[in-house]
Amino acid sequence: MIKNKLIGVAAIAALVIGCTVSETSGPALAGPDVYGKFPVTLKGYKGSKTNTVSYTGQMARQVLHDSIKKLAGKGNGKPNPALKAEMMSYYSSKAKGRAIVAPKSKGKFVIKQTHVDQISKKKNLSGKTYKGTISGMPNNMTGPELIKFWIDKASSAKKGVDTANGYNYPQLISKFMLGAIFYNQAVDNYLDEKMSAKKKPNNKPYKKGKHYTGKEHSWDEAFGYFGMPAHGLTLSPKQLYSIAKRKDKAMTYADRNGDGKVDLYREMVFGPAYYAAGADKKGKTTYAKTITKAFLDGRKLITSAKGAKLSNAQRAALLKYAAIIEKNWEQTLAEATFKYAGSCFNDLKKLKKSQSSKNLKKYIKHWGELKGFSLALQTGRKKLGETGTRLNRLIGFGPVLMNSSQVVDINSKGQYVKGQSSGIDEYMVHMLKVQKLMVDEFGVKARMKDALSGLGAMVKKLGKGNSAEND
Amino acid sequence: MMQPFDWLVQEYLPQLLDSFFNPQKRVSIGYLLIALLIAICWSVWVRNECSFKGLKKVCRSLFSPKIWFSKSALSDYKLMFINRAIMMLISPAMLSKLAAATFFYFLFIEVFQNTPAILETWPLWMAPVLYTVFLFLFDDFSRFFVHRCLHRWPLLWAFHKIHHTAETLTPFTVYRTHPIEGIIFGLRATFVQAVSISLFVSLFGKNIDLVEIFGVNFLLFIFNVTGSNLRHSHVSIRYPRILEHILISPAQHQVHHSIDPQHHDCNYGAAFAIWDLFGKSLKLSQKSHNLRFGIIDDYKFREHTLKELYLNPFVEVRTLLSRLI
Repeated sequence: MIKNKLIGVAAIAALVIGCTVSETSGPALAGPDVYGKFPVTLKGYKGSKTNTVSYTGQMARQVLHDSIKKLAGKGNGKPNPALKAEMMSYYSSKAKGRAIVAPKSKGKFVIKQTHVDQISKKKNLSGKTYKGTISGMPNNMTGPELIKFWIDKASSAKKGVDTANGYNYPQLISKFMLGAIFYNQAVDNYLDEKMSAKKKPNNKPYKKGKHYTGKEHSWDEAFGYFGMPAHGLTLSPKQLYSIAKRKDKAMTYADRNGDGKVDLYREMVFGPAYYAAGADKKGKTTYAKTITKAFLDGRKLITSAKGAKLSNAQRAALLKYAAIIEKNWEQTLAEATFKYAGSCFNDLKKLKKSQSSKNLKKYIKHWGELKGFSLALQTGRKKLGETGTRLNRLIGFGPVLMNSSQVVDINSKGQYVKGQSSGIDEYMVHMLKVQKLMVDEFGVKARMKDALSGLGAMVKKLGKGNSAEND
Repeated sequence: MMQPFDWLVQEYLPQLLDSFFNPQKRVSIGYLLIALLIAICWSVWVRNECSFKGLKKVCRSLFSPKIWFSKSALSDYKLMFINRAIMMLISPAMLSKLAAATFFYFLFIEVFQNTPAILETWPLWMAPVLYTVFLFLFDDFSRFFVHRCLHRWPLLWAFHKIHHTAETLTPFTVYRTHPIEGIIFGLRATFVQAVSISLFVSLFGKNIDLVEIFGVNFLLFIFNVTGSNLRHSHVSIRYPRILEHILISPAQHQVHHSIDPQHHDCNYGAAFAIWDLFGKSLKLSQKSHNLRFGIIDDYKFREHTLKELYLNPFVEVRTLLSRLI
């Protein structure tokens, strides 16, 4: 009898909670491990808003990036001004009505939004691209110039791939953007300058009329650039990975608010978080969790200031979280560089045995990822100096192809100039050196596609020598 | 930061126990039992005492408290426990094998004109066999070489003599070592393994593997199951003369520990005698040998106290250096 009563009470309680949840999608996303919602702390605010978390612009940019990557693979091998214009509309225009090209619903993985404007309006990527010169490519192009150059090339390449010169443009554009836009904006702008004492103070609104403070919104924007779902901290690396891959089974844990659709703003995994989770899948690292937790802890710290200007101690604590984010984010880019250097090494080994077009395309794809990530790594707050120079020299401006040719320059007409390299074998050694450089300079731990894993495995096999013995 | 008790329970004790259960370690329980069996059989055969009474007599001499509970042996045990802790604390600061292997790998790649895995197409069985034999030979040679240096260079002898102050020998005398010597041997192992691994990976790529028995290099396994622990014992197992030119017998190593000046500076090898043969330091064992172990100037170490064993070498080094200056 008592048992039945208890069940009844529990059922009513569940119903009440359920109704509350269904009123707005917010509460279902709330929780100690969820990024939001955070209350209004701005002193003197008289509006009706109750949640200060907002990073829609950043998620719109994640979608713009995904869409450009998809479009970059749609060329038919001939000059295609329409395709180029379409790509440029996602890169530099702020036009209304742009459809989301990627990510789109797939099987049971249903995506809520179909247009960029449904997430945020008037957003582009060019204004947020790293403006410094990219020394890893010829002609001292700036970040936006290089992306535009590649967009032009992609529009006339068959499926975005130039096998003659060894370029896979969707990969080059996408991986470079992960650094030049998302990583750069987060670590070199929002977590750096905007965390200074003078800029975007916490006792003033971010912009006139806004309900969130300068520091609250700056921090949120940096979080948005990471591309992690608000409830990312509750998910395993494998779950995060399968959300990004839009697998059927991922629907259950992506759809946090249970509305049957994945909200690209709050529930999707995008590039930077995807690569962090990808490295973590091996179980040796916790980049995704560490970065997300630092974001969440930092946001809680800002909220705890209750709309007052941050004290020096609070700002120092916040900068520590920012440093954790920066270091781990940099390491995820280094891990990806390490991984694709290993992939290229393996591809070249296969190509030496069989020069099939399938093997060649795989190599070109992996090289595009390697090059893109290696350039992305150089777009952070810190300048890599000698490490960057070594990285660029080892990888070169283009992959070494089977006839030992390699792009060495781009002429004034934008055409590639090729030269003879010292050969495939030496280039394979370059790939190994890239991996070593990532270990030495960035302390990568996941080490996927470790071409020197034989060394590590054998060292492990021979065991430790912690005893003092002799003969 | 780990608390001392946690470190003791979580790090130290497991590693200490590992020495007795890991077949890669010479004093693991299996090898000790095999050594005991060999010792009993040898003693019964040599003394020609096949009766139960004779066996009892043999066992009594093998387990004599005069050997196992002598001041010398007791200090061996203490050093074993303390040195383990010292080495565990020091080893993280030492050059990692992986870092050294990576360094040598790129060196070899340059030597082989930037062609990784040039021999990868050789038959698959060849790389593991060549690697296993090379590793064992190189390791054994390096032990001989370092050991020789430890005897011949006064500064190193100051530390190595701790091992030779043992007046009674048990398998645990292998751990009677000054930590400085432990570091030297650790670096030796790092160098040998790093060079061997990197050389073979650069030549054969991922095809290399170790030919193993119970997870141990099969040659090392053979060395250990054939009574390597009896090198430090009072069981004087001799090999035929011809074999003692190739392999070091337990009796030959006991000659190496002899206090007799005639026996000084000989038989540095661990498994193979060929290194001593080429280095003109080979001494064969003799039936008539009635050996006393230790060193001549052992008055400084007479009590086998830890203070003597750990600090005297530094005093001696200071004296040597002051003479030089």
